[in-house]
Amino acid sequence: MLRWQWVAAALIVALAAGAVAAARAHGERERLARRLLATPPGEVVEHPTLVRFAFTEARPLFAQHCAVCHGADMRGTVALGAPDLRDSVWLYGDGSVYDIERTILFGVRSGQSKSHNVTDMPAFGARGMLSDEQIRDVVQYLLKLNARPHQAEAAEDGRVVFYGKGDCFDCHASDARGDSDYGAPDLTVNVWDSGGDPDSLYRSIYYGRHRIMPAWLGTLSLEQIRALAVYIHVLSHPARRGSQAAAG
Amino acid sequence: MAQSESIQATRPRFGARLVRTLAHPRLATTVLPACGVVLGLAAAGASLFRPVARPLTSVPPGYVALVDQKGVLMSDFIAQTQSETGADFADTSPQERRRVLREMIDQELLVQRALVLDLPETTTEVRETMASAVNAQVEAPLLALEPTDAQLRAFYDAHRARYTLGGTMTVHDLLLHFGGYADADQTLAQAEVDAAEAVYQLRSGAPIDYVMEHYGFVDSGRVDNTEQLEFAAKLHLGAKLYQVATTLGDGEVSDPVAMADGVHVLVMDRRRPPRPADFDSVRNTVYSDYRAAESARARAENLRILRSQARILLAPGQSE
Repeated sequence: MLRWQWVAAALIVALAAGAVAAARAHGERERLARRLLATPPGEVVEHPTLVRFAFTEARPLFAQHCAVCHGADMRGTVALGAPDLRDSVWLYGDGSVYDIERTILFGVRSGQSKSHNVTDMPAFGARGMLSDEQIRDVVQYLLKLNARPHQAEAAEDGRVVFYGKGDCFDCHASDARGDSDYGAPDLTVNVWDSGGDPDSLYRSIYYGRHRIMPAWLGTLSLEQIRALAVYIHVLSHPARRGSQAAAG
Repeated sequence: MAQSESIQATRPRFGARLVRTLAHPRLATTVLPACGVVLGLAAAGASLFRPVARPLTSVPPGYVALVDQKGVLMSDFIAQTQSETGADFADTSPQERRRVLREMIDQELLVQRALVLDLPETTTEVRETMASAVNAQVEAPLLALEPTDAQLRAFYDAHRARYTLGGTMTVHDLLLHFGGYADADQTLAQAEVDAAEAVYQLRSGAPIDYVMEHYGFVDSGRVDNTEQLEFAAKLHLGAKLYQVATTLGDGEVSDPVAMADGVHVLVMDRRRPPRPADFDSVRNTVYSDYRAAESARARAENLRILRSQARILLAPGQSE
């Protein structure tokens, strides 16, 4: 055979081998995606192979769709009120794969009836429900709850407002530890999605907070959403990060 | 051997032969373009005649059931089970899960049946719920934007007439029937003449009871002749009579007002007009109104877009 015929033959064999390898890889990917979704959400993290697959799928998805609000480092964006996803504090649910998945599926105040939308933080100041002084007193009370430097007398006045005219305990609970059914934050763990300095706390109470998160059902596939949920869950649970190490 | 070597030495390389072949006039002007046309048509034809996706014969991952190819999400099943039982999904019994799943499948069947029956076209409640759901999605992004004090104040300034405090009136609404209404047999013209005379008497100091008995007036029943808030009086009197009432001071009598139920004469005992509310005292109302206005604006814009994309035909003689 002439030289060019050997080259052509080798090229055809290489192309064929590449096609077979690609088909096998695609098939393996599809198999893992089905298994990721078929596994009950609470059991996925017990399978390192699935966790590894979820991480591979979720990293580019997070960068493309989630980082714009939650930050490339997943530490949140105070200006947007987008929460830190790597801590163990959750507005809705308890940070399980199921709860995270549900939030991604239907969003927060997205306009969908299945979204988290029970209530929001009222604009106590803008609506004239609390005076300027009362709001500042409540801020001092919040600082006291978090063992931060505060003005004692104002904090006491703020406590009265918290349990009285402000009705803050109605959503944030009588122990101020919040209620994940409402998305009412825990006010005692010093985690503040919209900023924890006194001015930011004041603005949160004065203007209220009505953050939204879009619903991703229909935009992302169920496999992609499950992968993201697993990814976020593992990274937010220090005990789980062993499975991340195992996943590589 | 020498001959073959000489042949090898004079024969052009493969690449050069390929270029020379492709550059052949007939190949370049006819064959290659023809191949391109054929390939393009084949690709278009393949997409046009692509076979319809075959129905699923097993439930895809992420779903708990398929009802006529429509999936019931596993996540929804878990949420519904937890909601109905008040327990974590893992702690629920197989019987409870079966019951919930049966209910969800029943609901899916009913929804699909509703579409077959075209209920969105024939049932008012369904239409309204669907329209509300669309509006909720349109309004959702706006609700994240908290208005500033400056925006609220600008809204208040632009709609100051809306924001008033107080305002009461004590008014009598005397009614003279006509034209067979409530057994009255006089014409409108006669009633208006009588009413004008009655007004003259009232303005001259005649008691209301005397005028009512003498001219045949009755109490309209719209107001109870005691002090009431302006907004309540407006509701009871209606827009036309309320507008007349707002022109009256204490003790004044209106001109006759002809309406469908008869000729009305208003006698104002006492009026304390509403006064403008300062911004801080109506902040909450201004905030709500601002939000409502923003939502209305979003809905209107959405409808404008939908209309621009729709082909709407009206029957002859119809307009909107």
